[in-house]
Amino acid sequence: MRIGCPDISFKYPKTDKYVFKDFSFQLSDAGFHALFGPSGVGKTSLGKMMAGLLSGFTGKIETHDIDRILYSYNLERLPGWSSIGNHLKKITRSSRANLADDLVTVFGLEKHMGSRFSQLSLGQQNRINLIRYLLQDFDLLIMDESLANVDEKTRMTIITTIKAMFPDRMFIYISHNVVEVSKFCKKILVCRGYGKDPAAMIITGQNLKTGEKPGKDALEGTMLEVMNAA
Amino acid sequence: MKTEKISSKKFVVLALLVFCFFFSAGSTHAAGDRLNYRLKWLFNASVAGDLYADVHGIFKSEGIAVTVKAGGPERDAIKELELGHAQFGVASADQVIRARDKGAPVVVIAQLFQINPLQWIYRSAAMSVDSLQDLRGKTLGITYGGNDETIMRTLLAKGGITEDDVNLFSVRYDYTPFYQNKVDLWPVYRNSQGIFISQKLQDAGEDVGFLIPSKFGVKFVANSVVTSERMLQENPDLVKRFLNALLLAWEEAMNPDNEQKTITTIAEFDKDSSPELIEQQLSITRMLIKPRKDLVIGTIDAAAWKQTEAIMLKQGQITAPVAIENFLKPGGQP
Amino acid sequence: MLHRRVYQFLIIYCLGILFLLLLKYSLGLSNYVIPSPLNLRTTFSEVVSRYFSDVLDTLSVAIIGQFLSIFVAFLIGILARKTTWFGSFVKVAAYNFQAYPIVALAPIIFILLGDGFLSRLLIAAMICYFPLLLSVLGIMSEPIEDIEHFYRTTGRMRWQLAIKIRAFENLNKLTTVISGSATLAMAGTIVAEFIAANTGIGYSIRIALYQSDLSKILVALFLIGITLSVYQGILEWAGIVAKKAWAAS
Repeated sequence: MRIGCPDISFKYPKTDKYVFKDFSFQLSDAGFHALFGPSGVGKTSLGKMMAGLLSGFTGKIETHDIDRILYSYNLERLPGWSSIGNHLKKITRSSRANLADDLVTVFGLEKHMGSRFSQLSLGQQNRINLIRYLLQDFDLLIMDESLANVDEKTRMTIITTIKAMFPDRMFIYISHNVVEVSKFCKKILVCRGYGKDPAAMIITGQNLKTGEKPGKDALEGTMLEVMNAA
Repeated sequence: MKTEKISSKKFVVLALLVFCFFFSAGSTHAAGDRLNYRLKWLFNASVAGDLYADVHGIFKSEGIAVTVKAGGPERDAIKELELGHAQFGVASADQVIRARDKGAPVVVIAQLFQINPLQWIYRSAAMSVDSLQDLRGKTLGITYGGNDETIMRTLLAKGGITEDDVNLFSVRYDYTPFYQNKVDLWPVYRNSQGIFISQKLQDAGEDVGFLIPSKFGVKFVANSVVTSERMLQENPDLVKRFLNALLLAWEEAMNPDNEQKTITTIAEFDKDSSPELIEQQLSITRMLIKPRKDLVIGTIDAAAWKQTEAIMLKQGQITAPVAIENFLKPGGQP
Repeated sequence: MLHRRVYQFLIIYCLGILFLLLLKYSLGLSNYVIPSPLNLRTTFSEVVSRYFSDVLDTLSVAIIGQFLSIFVAFLIGILARKTTWFGSFVKVAAYNFQAYPIVALAPIIFILLGDGFLSRLLIAAMICYFPLLLSVLGIMSEPIEDIEHFYRTTGRMRWQLAIKIRAFENLNKLTTVISGSATLAMAGTIVAEFIAANTGIGYSIRIALYQSDLSKILVALFLIGITLSVYQGILEWAGIVAKKAWAAS
């Protein structure tokens, strides 16, 4: 499994400012990876380009063993005419009903299945959104701030559960949280911004699994590497 | 808080003053002594004398500046008199009597139409109306709620004819039922639709006749010149001058020797009618305004006014007698 | 909310009458210019049943015209929501037509179709159609990205689902525009009747105007206002019931 690009360039229409110029990166292997960088550096743009939702760039996104890429973001909403439980049922194949139940329990939403989307808190909304993506067919899921407004403990549970439940899938987690990406991610693609050389760097994260605790020095070292790269 | 209360009070007073200014009722003079004269209908041959007075400087010769304003279905000269938007107007007798019934301070200073132009046209080959009994069994067109309904019901009552003895047909703007012979008598204004429909039938080789209510003793007075009581009391001289000028103009306009001049005057305002049509309209208007050579234009037929009031009272169009004869001021005498 | 609309109308109407009476008594105008309360009461009892059936006649035409208009607006709006040539054409045509005073066409329509039910229905439908169409077009051609993204990206999007999403998300806007179109339809039908028909409350107002009878006009306005307030209240209530029922399903 591999996704990357050699030398892509992109700027938004009717602007002269490049978001990426001759930008190259490659992320390999199934697992939970991260896309990190300061605000405005183009993480969302890159995520959308990978998912085929953004065009108008020069160069090509190349994939190997990745057929279906899904992109989810934190502002998504479920339709308001149905309870989230009904909605989830409609978009879940019967063969995945048990998986759905497990995810709902792990994500702490079992008491809210009868509620409508607008009745949930922001964190609950992001969680149910993520669940429905996890129940679809995909090889790579790009999660753009998908755990925003979720408390730290629940985020940790969710990430480690995803890694355990979907070991053969690839995830790219777009986040600002340096501690989180350093702890849980396998590879961290750091976007450094236009004009910097190199424009991107790959840092190896601690890739902690359920129940594992990081070594303090190792974690700090990773965090420093990420901060310096950014 | 106190300042706010005072300000809002001032605002209310100011608003009332502004309204009173704009609605200064019954002002006897228009701005700058220009008088407004509101007619009953649009500019056509029926108002020949009014236009003549304006165009040929007859008002000016009496030292008054008058703006002659066209009327229409949405205009009411009597209301304009009361609100001060006009100083003189033209209204039909039923309008005046209805207004007096509701307390409007209007008075009549001249009666223009001696014979009401509202008559009924019929095919003279198919029937004749020598007496009211000739109406029995006929289909009679009337406009429900209109003056023609009032006049027809009076004619029927006078002839001892009930609704069962005739067939009343509701008339609209479309003359087709008459052309198709579904209706025997059709209400028309003799000096406008009357001409048009006659011509159409004559072109098809058919002769026409007219049922003239006044020939059967039903006199329902038509257009007359009106002003407000206040105008008459406060400015009798101005009223006299206006009336002198107006009636002189009508005499000149109705004089056959001035026919071409009158036609040209009317044509300036009525651009939709050909000079030939205006000539025909003028000829009939002359017959209605001055049916006899010795008759002075503007003469008020008090008996006809009283009869009109009686008809309206009998048909429930007014709630009580208004004694209209008290509000007829021939010659502008207060 | 039905009560609220009726109270609102009654307040406005009574204020209007009070203003007229203030004008009457401060300027000493006769009953011929502005009728007294007694005149109004007498006229009311004389014409109320006739005028009320006229109002219902006009309202029935307006309602049928409005619903016809809603149906066609939704049909065309849904068909034209894409940025195809048809969609662009419909949008431009709708923008241009909605600026035109449709009631000015009333005399022509009455000449061509006669002064019966069909003419009034056509005018009522045409008057509220273009604003409805523009609203529906606007709603249907604007994706709700935050909701539709999941379905599109997972291959689950169907045109019926897209319409359902956009309609549900804009239900308040839709009920507002439908409620507003009721007023448009009624006002337009009345004006058309006033200009060229021989039936309906607009026609009755025209006759009252020709008779210079302000009492009758005020009675007509009262009946129109009350009836329209009740109808709009019913429409609002129906919108809420529909939303609840949809949400409950």
